Amino acid sequence: MPGASAAAHPEPPLYPQIVDWFVTLLRAPLAGLRGADPVLGLAVVVLAALVLASLLHRRLRLPRLLGYLLVGAIASPAALGLLQRTDIDPWKPLIDLAVAALVFELGTRLRPRWLLDNRWLAASSALEAIAAGVAVWLALVALGAPKASAAAAAACAAATSPVITMATFLEARPRGQVAERLLMLSAINCVLAILAIKLWPVLAHTRVLSAPESLTLLANAGAVIFGSLLLGLACGVLLDRLGRLHDEAATMPVLQLALVIVAALLATAWGLSPFVALLVAGMTARSRMRHRLTVQPYLGSAGAALTVMLFVSFGLLSTVEDWRALWPWVLAIVLARLIGKGAAIFATARPSGLSWRQAAALTLALQPMSSLSVMLVADSFGWRTQLPGAEPAVIQALLIATTLMQLSGPLWTLWPLKRLVGEAVDDEPHER
Amino acid sequence: MALETFTASQPLTLGVELELQLLDTHDFDLTPRAEDLLRELTNHSGEWDVKPEITRSMIEIGTSIQRAFTPLRDELRDLRSQMSRAARKVNIAISGGGTHPYQHWSEQRIFPTERFRYISELYGYLAKQFTVFGQHVHVGVPNGDEALWLLHALSRYVPHFIALAASSPYVQGVDTGFHSARLNSVFAFPLSGRAPFVLTWEGFGQFFDKMTSTGVVQSMKDFYWDIRPKPEYGTIELRVCDTPLQVDKAAALACYLQSLCRYLREERPFEPAEDDYLVYTFNRFQACRFGLDGEIVDPKSKQRSKLRDDIIRTLARIEPHALDLQGLDACNLIRESLTDGNDATWLRRQRREHPPMAALVEAAAARWMT
Repeated sequence: MPGASAAAHPEPPLYPQIVDWFVTLLRAPLAGLRGADPVLGLAVVVLAALVLASLLHRRLRLPRLLGYLLVGAIASPAALGLLQRTDIDPWKPLIDLAVAALVFELGTRLRPRWLLDNRWLAASSALEAIAAGVAVWLALVALGAPKASAAAAAACAAATSPVITMATFLEARPRGQVAERLLMLSAINCVLAILAIKLWPVLAHTRVLSAPESLTLLANAGAVIFGSLLLGLACGVLLDRLGRLHDEAATMPVLQLALVIVAALLATAWGLSPFVALLVAGMTARSRMRHRLTVQPYLGSAGAALTVMLFVSFGLLSTVEDWRALWPWVLAIVLARLIGKGAAIFATARPSGLSWRQAAALTLALQPMSSLSVMLVADSFGWRTQLPGAEPAVIQALLIATTLMQLSGPLWTLWPLKRLVGEAVDDEPHER
Repeated sequence: MALETFTASQPLTLGVELELQLLDTHDFDLTPRAEDLLRELTNHSGEWDVKPEITRSMIEIGTSIQRAFTPLRDELRDLRSQMSRAARKVNIAISGGGTHPYQHWSEQRIFPTERFRYISELYGYLAKQFTVFGQHVHVGVPNGDEALWLLHALSRYVPHFIALAASSPYVQGVDTGFHSARLNSVFAFPLSGRAPFVLTWEGFGQFFDKMTSTGVVQSMKDFYWDIRPKPEYGTIELRVCDTPLQVDKAAALACYLQSLCRYLREERPFEPAEDDYLVYTFNRFQACRFGLDGEIVDPKSKQRSKLRDDIIRTLARIEPHALDLQGLDACNLIRESLTDGNDATWLRRQRREHPPMAALVEAAAARWMT
């Protein structure tokens, strides 16, 4: 579970007496409920999230996703402790499905040929991931972190959360070059991060690896990526074939959801990368089906419901344990990421066809961090804990940074798209 | 503001302006990406120029001054390949066509310049509805009087250009039944239609003074006539054509106009008169609605004939002039489209084969781009 390096004694509460009293009041019935049905507690939190998100959206024009995240964070052990992380274990398969659906949808929006038509875009996408990773590694090592663990953290930090990106995209419906690049770059930097984590033992030189061992590791990583690619291709083709048989608009979302489940479960079972498999499945489906493929946002209302739960769960996984000791590393990760990505984007902005303003917007929008690290440590999404030998404190710093950059994620994505480049417009206020 | 003096220019020189659609590569709807494309094209090679239009999902190109079909066509092809490359780089597609089949005018955004803001404030929603895409052809004339004579003589042939260039059968997701629905948007503007029947530049100047004194008009740009004199260029401007789906056709239409103008100037087969305009709106409607299958009434002989036949006869008459102008290839292209049908017909044919509208627009974009 996250924060395996739990402190020996609990942190003093960060809130005053009266809130403590309020929390105790709430804990009792919730404990009772939990006793009755562990799933009920989370369901109640989800309902609260919907209410709060709606309120925040109407009054303060904040993205709904932020509301879901905040409620999850408030209920998490990091704050009020209304729910424990183990409470979301029964929901894990559904949460994985929510992620899978969003990644599939991301795949359907990518046009891989764009990377060929614009070589500088391809360069910038590789560069920003690498620059972020290297910057984070340098910053952590400079602050005294062990090199191997810093490399693990750097690999995770290179990624931009594709889930927050895609969900914000679906909520705000931006149109423009920054939004399109954001999707492309977050997909690519996640794949690169997954690759880096897979190759971490080689990168980190945790111990002296003999040539055959290194080769085995490389071959293994290659096999996983290649296998995921094949699985994704097969699923995309299957969706195309089945879509031709069942040419009804009503059944298409069900078909897509079913296929996403199949792809995600098979990838997990076979030790492949569900992320890569679903991304490729989406891209294949788009390229084969062209305009016959209609993808409802979130793959339909079922997916939309799952996404709410997903974001509440992200909030629940928040952790700030040991922040007093670890804040320099946390700050280092956040700032080094910003600087690394920014430098790469600005350096390639002009040749790849971006204005300075667009480059600034893109840099900011790339800041939400991916839960890859959380997933790794939380043993979900099928990746077994891949980081034996990684210093727990570094991982905890990474988790705190991820918490911060996830909770604020929707704002990092939405504000530049709306205010800097005007690619998203505010919703009209609902009149009731 | 008084009417400018008419700049003398070499007769029968050509300039072609095309308004093009900028499309999202995901759903092929119009996308407000003119600034991105313009930035990519800042250092383009060639004499042609590219500039923004009233809404940000439109872009306008203008060729340099040309004299014959082949160099004009080559310049348009060069422009097309550079623009296609730039478009792919910023992940958009470009297409011809007089209208976008399913864009909703309310979603369009005005390009932020002085003039466009002024038009947007003056004309309200009409400005956004003016997200239509046309081809404008400039023909050089030596002086203002000849400009006006040619302008009125050409009025009889306006239906030819409408029918040959028509490429806007679909509007807001529906088949309008028209070959050129774009012109319905143009006609909504109060100052559209045709120029008053004056044959001297001085007389035209008096008309212009009257209009400006009422405050209705501030410059020649405020007139949205089908054919309009452009004194600062020394040309008359034909504005009725929809943007064709291919640049070769745009070049062919321009050269057809050029040969026609030479025929009219040198042979003077008739003298224009005010009464020619009695049948003008009827003929124009027939061309917009039925394309090449429409019927027109000859203003002099009062004979009704098929538009297609009228074009065939005209092509025969202008052939010697086309030969002298090295424009026979252009005339052949025009003749081909009489049998193949115009772009509106092509679009309708595509729709029968590929039901989703987005597929239709993608096919049109593929037809334009290299």
